[in-house]
Amino acid sequence: MRRMLRLFVPLTFVAASLVTAMVAAPFGSDIHAPLKFDDATTMMQKTAVTVTLLAVWMIAAVALTLLSGREIRYSSVEMRASALHCFALGLVAMTSFVLTAIVLNYLIPYHVGVPLLFALGVFAILTKIYGMVAVFHAVGTLIAGSRTRDQLAGRKWLRGDLAMVVIGVLILGAIRLIPIVGLVVWSLTSVFGIGTALATKFGRREPWFLAFRSVET
Amino acid sequence: MTDNACQQYLKDPEANAAHLRTCAKCNAEAMALAEKADVEPPSLDVNALPLAPWEGSSHRAWPLVLGTSAVVMIVALALLDAAGMSPLHVVEGSLASMEAIRGLFGGWATSLRSASLGAQVAFGVAFLVVNGLLIALLRRAPRGMDA
Repeated sequence: MRRMLRLFVPLTFVAASLVTAMVAAPFGSDIHAPLKFDDATTMMQKTAVTVTLLAVWMIAAVALTLLSGREIRYSSVEMRASALHCFALGLVAMTSFVLTAIVLNYLIPYHVGVPLLFALGVFAILTKIYGMVAVFHAVGTLIAGSRTRDQLAGRKWLRGDLAMVVIGVLILGAIRLIPIVGLVVWSLTSVFGIGTALATKFGRREPWFLAFRSVET
Repeated sequence: MTDNACQQYLKDPEANAAHLRTCAKCNAEAMALAEKADVEPPSLDVNALPLAPWEGSSHRAWPLVLGTSAVVMIVALALLDAAGMSPLHVVEGSLASMEAIRGLFGGWATSLRSASLGAQVAFGVAFLVVNGLLIALLRRAPRGMDA
C-alpha cells in the first residue's frame, strides 16, 4: 500500500501539472488565459483568497497539533492503514450530514430544528478541521517522513508531528492552487479527513457505541 | 505414582529427588522447566525493527514551523494587497458562502415539505438507510496501531 502510494503521489503531481499546463496554456484558438482586465483581477482575487485560507489552515493545523499531537498521529496512522475504510466512512458521513441537515431544516418550524442544526453544523465543522489536519499529517509523513532510524537521527528540522503537518499543508496547499484539480483533490481530502476523524473518534480510539454482552456465569 | 508423593516432591524437590525416577509426569515437568531455564533469550536487534510512528514525533521544529507560517502569511497579505482586498473580505466571503449553503439546505427542506407523500417517505427511507450504514461503519474498531 505504501509502495503504491509512493508511486501514486509523483504520478499525481505529473498528471496535475499536465492538466494545469493544458488549462493555462493557450492552445490554438481555444485560449483559457484571462482576456480582459476584469478576468485577471478575478483570478488574482481568487488566488489571494485561496492563499489566505491556506495561511488560516496552517495556523489551525499547528495549533491543533500542539494541543493534541498524539491524537492527530493516531488518526494519521489509521488513515494510512485502512484508507479505503476511511474514504467509505467519509462519503457516508458527508451524505448523512447533508440528509440530516435537510431533515433539521424541515423541523425548523417546530422550533426543535434550530439548536439541532446549530449542533450539527458545529460538529461537522470540527470534524472537517480535525480530519484535514490528520490528512496533512498523513501526507507530510508519506512524502517527507523518515524511513529509518539513521535518517531520523540525521534530521534536524524535518522530524516530528509539527513538521509533518506543516509539510502536508504546503503540499496540499500547492495542489489547491491548481485550477479544477485542486478543488477535486481538496474535496477528496475532506472526505478522507471526515472519515478518519470519525473512524478513530478524533484520535481517541474509543468505540462510539457501547457493546452489550451477556453476563457469563 | 500417587498424588501424595507428587505433592511431597513439589513441597521439597531436592529432598525428594528420587521421586523423578518413578513418576513420569513430574519427570516431564522437571525436564521442561530445565529446558526453559537453559534456553537463552533470543537476541533482539532494535534497529532492525521498522520505525514506529511515535519515534521522534515529539520533536518540535520551530524554525521550520515559524518560518513557513511567516512566509505563507506574507505571501497571502501581499496577494490580498495586490488584489485590492483586505483579510476582512475573506472572512465576509467565508461567512457568505456558509450562509449560501444554509440557504441551499433550507430550499431543499422547503421542496421536501411541498413534495408528494411518496417522495417524503422515500427521503425518510434514504435518511434511515444512510444513517444505519454510518452506524455500521462506525462500529468497526480502528486497526491502525495493529497494522
